[in-house]
Amino acid sequence: MPRIAGVDIPEKKKIRYALRYIYGIGPKFADAILSEAGVDAEKRAADLTENEVTQIATVIDATYIVEGALRRQMQQNITRLRDIRSYRGDRHRRGLPVRGQRTKCNARTRKGRKKTVAGKKGVKG
Amino acid sequence: MSRSLKKGPFVDEKLYRKVERLNTSGSRTPIKTWARACTIVPEFVGHTFQVHNGRSFPDVFVTEDMVGHKLGEFSHTRMFRGHTNKKEGLKRR
Repeated sequence: MPRIAGVDIPEKKKIRYALRYIYGIGPKFADAILSEAGVDAEKRAADLTENEVTQIATVIDATYIVEGALRRQMQQNITRLRDIRSYRGDRHRRGLPVRGQRTKCNARTRKGRKKTVAGKKGVKG
Repeated sequence: MSRSLKKGPFVDEKLYRKVERLNTSGSRTPIKTWARACTIVPEFVGHTFQVHNGRSFPDVFVTEDMVGHKLGEFSHTRMFRGHTNKKEGLKRR
């Protein structure tokens, strides 16, 4: 099985879909990488020649930040916002939405599961 | 949506001139300002601004990392002291 960008082993899918299993590569980048590497996007990942795999790997290494490096970069960006004490850093610290969304209701992705408060509207205390 | 690149960053004219003046004279006195929307440009680094938050003027010391952000991002306008405990809340009323 081909191995691209470190630990990722996409399987019997067509290569343009298999590449998306790499963190940091979505539909758009997958197609861009394949056209630059000159590899047929409809080919199954398992049918790729040694050469094609290396070709893809070189393109990714040269132009894209993926996996651990990407995660690290994101973490650094957030840490930077925190360190300069900006509003956005503050929202990250508190686990609240960063981009001005409402928090009166919803915002569950950032706030996590509901914490029921007794005596609040709708809850019998 | 982000600002058009054609226009360049928004920098408060008057504030910028004031900073330039301080830079030439080498002085680093705090600058009181209401220009929260003003982008921080490299010339501001090392200065202290007192940025209005609607009530007071918290000190904002500008470091290199802050370049490209707005002054207002560092002067919070809301204060959240936590939710009131039910019993406590009733007592206060």
